[in-house]
Amino acid sequence: MTIRRILIIDDEDDIREATQVCLEVTGEWEVLTASSGHEGLLKATAEHPDAILLDVMMPGMDGISTFQELQTNPATQDIPVILLTAKTQSAEQRQFTQLKVAAIITKPYDPFSLSLQVTQALS
Amino acid sequence: MATRKSARSQSQSSSPPQIDSLEVLLHRMMNRIRQSLDLSEILAGTVAEVRTFLGTDRVKIYRFHPDGSGQVIAESNRPRRLPSLLGQNFPAEDIPLAARELFLKARQRSIVDVTEQQIGLSPLDCLETGTLLATEDIRFRPVDPCHAEYLMAMGVRSSLVVPILHHDYLQQNRLWGLLASHHSSARRVSERELQIVQLVADQVAIAIAQSNLLSQTRAQAEQEATVNRVSWLLHSMTEMQVQQALEQTVKALQVAGGRIYISPQFEPSEHLLAQTGQLFSCGQQPLLATPAKQTKPQPIELHPEWPACLSANGSTITDVLAIADLHPLDLPPDLAEAFSTAEIRSLLVVPLFYRQQMLGYLSLFRPEIEVETLWAGRVDRNDPRNLRPRESFEVWRELKLGQCQEWAIAEIELAQALGKHFAMAIHQYGLYQQVHTLNLDLEQDIQERKQAEVKICALNAELEQRVLERTAELQRANTELIREIRERERALRERQQAKDSLKRLSRQNELILNSAGEGIYGLNLQGKTTFVNPAAARILGYEVEHLSEKFIHGIINHSQSDGSPYEWTASPIHATLIEGAAQHRTDDLFWRQDGSSFPVEYVSTSIREQSKIVGAVVIFKDITERQIVERMKDEFVSVVSHELRTPLTSIRTALGILAQGCLDTQPDKSQRMLEIAFSNTNRLVRLINDILDLERIKFGKSLMQKQACNATNLILQSVDTMRAMAEKAEVNLAVTPIAAQLWVDPDRIIQTLTNLLSNAIKFSPPQATVRVTAERRRPESFEFSVFSAAIEELATNSDQDPPLEAEDHSQPEVLLISIQDQGRGIPEDKLESIFDRFQQLDASNSGHQGGTGLGLTICRSIVQQHGGQIWVESTVGKGSTFYFTLPLHQESGVGLSK
Repeated sequence: MTIRRILIIDDEDDIREATQVCLEVTGEWEVLTASSGHEGLLKATAEHPDAILLDVMMPGMDGISTFQELQTNPATQDIPVILLTAKTQSAEQRQFTQLKVAAIITKPYDPFSLSLQVTQALS
Repeated sequence: MATRKSARSQSQSSSPPQIDSLEVLLHRMMNRIRQSLDLSEILAGTVAEVRTFLGTDRVKIYRFHPDGSGQVIAESNRPRRLPSLLGQNFPAEDIPLAARELFLKARQRSIVDVTEQQIGLSPLDCLETGTLLATEDIRFRPVDPCHAEYLMAMGVRSSLVVPILHHDYLQQNRLWGLLASHHSSARRVSERELQIVQLVADQVAIAIAQSNLLSQTRAQAEQEATVNRVSWLLHSMTEMQVQQALEQTVKALQVAGGRIYISPQFEPSEHLLAQTGQLFSCGQQPLLATPAKQTKPQPIELHPEWPACLSANGSTITDVLAIADLHPLDLPPDLAEAFSTAEIRSLLVVPLFYRQQMLGYLSLFRPEIEVETLWAGRVDRNDPRNLRPRESFEVWRELKLGQCQEWAIAEIELAQALGKHFAMAIHQYGLYQQVHTLNLDLEQDIQERKQAEVKICALNAELEQRVLERTAELQRANTELIREIRERERALRERQQAKDSLKRLSRQNELILNSAGEGIYGLNLQGKTTFVNPAAARILGYEVEHLSEKFIHGIINHSQSDGSPYEWTASPIHATLIEGAAQHRTDDLFWRQDGSSFPVEYVSTSIREQSKIVGAVVIFKDITERQIVERMKDEFVSVVSHELRTPLTSIRTALGILAQGCLDTQPDKSQRMLEIAFSNTNRLVRLINDILDLERIKFGKSLMQKQACNATNLILQSVDTMRAMAEKAEVNLAVTPIAAQLWVDPDRIIQTLTNLLSNAIKFSPPQATVRVTAERRRPESFEFSVFSAAIEELATNSDQDPPLEAEDHSQPEVLLISIQDQGRGIPEDKLESIFDRFQQLDASNSGHQGGTGLGLTICRSIVQQHGGQIWVESTVGKGSTFYFTLPLHQESGVGLSK
């Protein structure tokens, strides 16, 4: 079985850490993390993970800008991106659905089904 | 020249009658004349008496015709002596004109003795002067041989001829005839006999005169009788008996035919006369050939040449026209044929005039006749001058055919008299007809007027009825009118009241419209404005009058939310005008006069009059600010949601992993998950507290427990609270207190001070100093830019107290507290936004610093609740100073102390 790698980009340390543990212990993911958009772009380019779990509201480069950068980068544009966001307003959700993301998972997510949701999104 | 001898000297052989017998003779003759009015009888008796007296063979009375000829009209013959000549005629040549002249002018008597060949002449009057001669001598001379031969041929040997004169109506002597005595043998005539015969002749003349007078009288009487009959027929009858009168006329005048033609010009009545005239006829009539296309022959009176035939000069004849013989006349062929066919030879035309008015003609016709004459011997036509005496006196019967008859004067006069009556009758009948017609018309008029009167009576009755009904109607109408007037007066009062109410309402509406914050305008069906309130004009950037009666759709450039303008017919407002349904839009755009647009919320509602759409009213308002507020609210909710969900995510994930037991074998990670869960739980509690606290402060002004507080105490108490944190962060705290009494909620002021101190410590590097100072200041001494920013901030919160007016020098002093740090500073563009909710300068540090992003917002709310202001001045890289003011307690003593 091929070990899957996923990159978590989130400015919240606790969320990044807890999510990493969650994916590692429940889905046997190899988890990469980045605390900002810039860092995430670099890691994505360098590591080319199987998937990216991307927070939206981040200081500096926010999640939307990061996604657009990923899409414009030939090295990362084929990586499925799953938005993991605490923005749940309907207008915000409509904005996200217009992006070519693999899935949108709202915070607080269900830690028991997060791995499954990611897997389904990738399939 | 014959020898003149006295008659007395030649007394005849026969003895003369005695005187007595002469007197008896004369007496008898005169008696006969007196007793008889019949001339023939008188003449017959006369000749008989004379022959008896004279004892001759024949005594006759010869009467002259107008042409000089004559006829024996009375005769007494001795039987078998001389042939009778009674009725025989003698030509005029037998007694030449000269002889007739002597008979007339000299009353010459002649005595012929054929045997002696002598003739004795005895004139009574002078031939030249006509005076009576003194003597009645008989002068003899030889008789003309022809005369003697003439007498001898007659068988006469002795003759006595005495002229019979007659005084006509002109009192002139006229030779009427001769009294002649013939004797077949010689016989002497005495003067006495001559005198007696002369006396007899004179008596005969008297008798003739009487007879003529009688005849004239009878003729006149007959004429008058005829006229009377005709007049009676014409005038006495109800209807004019023209036909019968004509028949009487024809009969009286003994003509073959007659006719009355009444000319068409005289039109007394259309009943009497036809347009072509009217013709009455009796007996023989001239008939013109019937013209083509006519059923009746045309009367001769209508022949175009007829007037010319009657008049030599072609004018209308005015007198009687008596034509004895039509043959010599140059008549038109058809007229001549008409007369000849009817065998009419003589014509008498009496024009019927009445008062110079030509009414027609009375025409009388006579046929040609056969004239039989008994002549005493046949006249030798080869001897017209009668040069030779007639040899035979044998009766010669001469028959003349085709003879015409002259019209006698009496006939003409009678016809004339009758014509006058016809004319008068026709005229009168015309008048009668006119009167009759007028009477008929009058009767008809009377009938019509009677009928009209009846109708008028009926109409009057109906009119009276109508008047009564109308009067009743008018009374009812009057009553109704009075009632209506009262109702109208009441309606007028109500209308006036309604008008007053309407006026008040209009004024109220106007005030409402003018006072309304929303823009309101009315439209007619063409989309032109019927009214615009000031708010609408103000919102759109126009004056009201610039928008009145304008096609406002084009002015405001009504557009959809994406900026694309509506076509007028596709706009919702147009739909309201057409369909009547109210339209409510919240996303459309209106454009101002300056070219800027603004989001608008409007409601367009149709205006109806009697269910018919007559326009629409549009109420709109600029929702720019509302959209900003809503956007801010959405953003706040979004941020709060995010801020709440972020720690919840960490807590839920960490606890979920632990709950699954996945980390049972990894105690370090389990511990770490617990710590994460715990710290985020705390964060969540702080966040919730801050949110609730902020809301309480914001909406709970009355909850401020204000009291007089010592400013220094408050500052020192806050510093003490934060001293542990400062020491931990190795930051120094320097306080410059001031003795001032404040009127504040001390807990809230301490919360503000600790919050600001916390931020200052949190963002200060180790060994840095955070300074807290306080001083009394007047508001006008603050820097304008800072203060104006604060004012603007206050203005955005309408539910806050009004900001202090910067220029108001009467405002009291305030306590200005400042917290100065030596941190990294705040960019200029963040100096204001950091006081907004969740506007941390660096969100990534929030978690580390334990902030919720609501601290400065809470501080601002607390300060504002106390009527103060808060702001920050900062220089990046050097540090920031937060200021806020608080009101001093006015009743407290003022003093400064360290």
